[in-house]
Amino acid sequence: MTTTATTAKQGATAPTPPAARTGRTFGRRPSLRSYLASLSWSSLLYVAPALAFFAVFVLYPIGISVWYSFYAYDGLTQGTPVGWDNYTAVFTDSLLRAALLHSLVLLFFYAVLPVCVGLLLAGAMSRIRVYGLTVFRAVLFVPQILSSVVVAVAWRNLLAVDGPVNTVLKAVGLGRFTTSWLGDFDTALPSIGVIGAWVEYGLCMVLFLSGIVAIDRSTYEAARLDGAGPVREFFAITLPALRPQISIALILTVTFALRNFDLIWNTTRGGPGTTTTVPSLYVYQDAFQNRMLGRASALAIVLTVVILAVVTLVQLALREREHPLRRFTRPGRPGRKVQS
Amino acid sequence: MAITLATLLACAACSPPGAGKGTSAGGTVAITDPVTVQQVADLGDVTLRMWADQAEKPLMKSVVPAFEKKYPNVKVDITYKSFDDLIATVVNAASGTNPPDLFQGNIGYAVDGALVKAKLVRPLDDVAAAYGWITGTGASTLAPARWNGSGTAFGSGNLYGMSPISEVQGIYYNKAQLKELGLKPPRSFADLEKDLPAVKEAGEQPIMLGNSDQYAATHIFSDLAVTEQTPASIRDWIGGKAGTTFVTEGNAKAAETMADWAKKGYFGSGYDGLSNEDAISRFAKGSGVFFVGGSWNGAMLDPAKFGFGALTTGGAGATASPWHISASSKNTPAAVAFLAALHTPKAGQVILDTGRLPVVTDGVKGTNSLQTQTLDALKGTIAAGTQVGYYDWTASDMLNVMGGKLQEVMAGRAGDTQFMKAVQASWLKARQTR
Repeated sequence: MTTTATTAKQGATAPTPPAARTGRTFGRRPSLRSYLASLSWSSLLYVAPALAFFAVFVLYPIGISVWYSFYAYDGLTQGTPVGWDNYTAVFTDSLLRAALLHSLVLLFFYAVLPVCVGLLLAGAMSRIRVYGLTVFRAVLFVPQILSSVVVAVAWRNLLAVDGPVNTVLKAVGLGRFTTSWLGDFDTALPSIGVIGAWVEYGLCMVLFLSGIVAIDRSTYEAARLDGAGPVREFFAITLPALRPQISIALILTVTFALRNFDLIWNTTRGGPGTTTTVPSLYVYQDAFQNRMLGRASALAIVLTVVILAVVTLVQLALREREHPLRRFTRPGRPGRKVQS
Repeated sequence: MAITLATLLACAACSPPGAGKGTSAGGTVAITDPVTVQQVADLGDVTLRMWADQAEKPLMKSVVPAFEKKYPNVKVDITYKSFDDLIATVVNAASGTNPPDLFQGNIGYAVDGALVKAKLVRPLDDVAAAYGWITGTGASTLAPARWNGSGTAFGSGNLYGMSPISEVQGIYYNKAQLKELGLKPPRSFADLEKDLPAVKEAGEQPIMLGNSDQYAATHIFSDLAVTEQTPASIRDWIGGKAGTTFVTEGNAKAAETMADWAKKGYFGSGYDGLSNEDAISRFAKGSGVFFVGGSWNGAMLDPAKFGFGALTTGGAGATASPWHISASSKNTPAAVAFLAALHTPKAGQVILDTGRLPVVTDGVKGTNSLQTQTLDALKGTIAAGTQVGYYDWTASDMLNVMGGKLQEVMAGRAGDTQFMKAVQASWLKARQTR
């Protein structure tokens, strides 16, 4: 328990961001004019190029999508306004509801699983002295940097009915479990999930390793002196200290899970039947195959809102809470590290 | 950010997207006779810009140098794209401010329909008449490129495109395996159906199928369906004729046969996890006795080891992606001359030599038995008039609806009625929104 306090302290030593300071000033003098006056215009100049880029390549397309989403538009001839019809279609289409459900299943495989595996690997790597650690780290990170088409093609072969996975299963006497993993109605979705987990766990692991490096080694020594074993050490020190990294990892993986398209397009195209369809598959089909830009835009907007909502939830759940003990520990005084 | 969005929305509220996009009808030179070298020379030094499927590269490598030699003032500049990329982007390119002069579309509503509806492509009736395309051997293959003026129905009407390349369905067979089993090359689906149990009993996989892209099985279904009803009735339905339906006894029978064959293991196991590409490469290496599919698969096969059984009963098949001339092209005579160069027996021979099938077959000869067999199959089906086109022309999401439902039928998860009703519903929806 005491060690948790130390961890919280780690977070507290981070410098207060300037934005927070401005906010406080604003709170004291609540007039808009003085707020504008307090803004440093020359600093705005520095962010202007990035802001312009952001506006042109992010805000403008989003605005266009919102605009299109209220029309029946084929991208060529004049669109006709349809009000909220495109959005009603999104929420009433049973195929889309099923696709959303598939996304939730994938959320487990693409976000929860990689974070757990990443934690396990990072925990093990930080404790056990591995020779050639850099090499292992690099190799385990490779899935993350491979092009998704390459990943899809490789896994399609691995999971094929006569692929290596089934060969291994047969070799160890589990021949009755062999199947066409991506072609079977029951195994296609979990199989795609496993591929996604494989892609993402390397990223999680590297994030967590960098977080672990930042943990004060002496806290581990202290824990060991108190008689904590490796498991206890992991849950008492490592896990709480990694809260910010876990939050980042979840944001990245959740976004990846919900907007996933390329892996599915290159493995099953949503099949067999409609067992692996996801919303972004329909966005692509509506926009580029069916030329229904209005409906595709509406669906994309809804998907964006859903992703934002889930990410916000994750952030709220994992934000740094003020620990009751923090008030009594002053940052930068190593002497008060362990309290009991 | 909120301000930006608000402004955007405010100005968006007043005008619908695509408003004021004028359709420039520039460069509509009527063609009454074949274009002369002088007419093209009158254009001055010009660059003929094109977008093509990368599968056309071997053909272009032969046609372009000859064309540039004949018309020295024209430089040909081709942008190659994969088929998927091409059909996803060509309509936007055609509607841009500087569209390519010549480009390939795709039969059906998603691409060609959109191009015709937005008046982005030049009608080619005058060209076809001037060059005699409507009377030659490939005349009947032009039908899918004919549209009504509003781009809402195709199969007849004005001609908007031309493809020099055709496709035909048939049964590829492994010669050595057939011999070993003591079977004769199949000449029809009835022959095939008779052979399947024997092959299965001998412990071989009867038909190699890779259906993860969801289309390969629909092509076999199409070949079966056309043996149960007239090709014309299927063509009518594909063309979107009012009052036609997919819920027919013939289609029910074909769906039942597919389910039955799948259940009996005639397609092996795991076909839904195998892409068509993977399947044909496995077949080329000797797995599976038969492969039912289109002529484009033949390029992967060794002519000494494989044969092609024609299906004169017809089925899926038609011309490949048609070429269009941009309605706003300033180089129309050069573009017309290029199309004409594609529609010749000489180009036809190059097409066959590079592993595909030409529309113009006069004097075109195969260099090996597989090529000759495939070419004969094409001539046979065109003469019999039994090609029905492709089901996915009917609606832009038909490939997914039909392909996905057929997977369910074959896995025993949906009945034939369910399958037919889902397909018909998609057809109807597409028709109503046109």
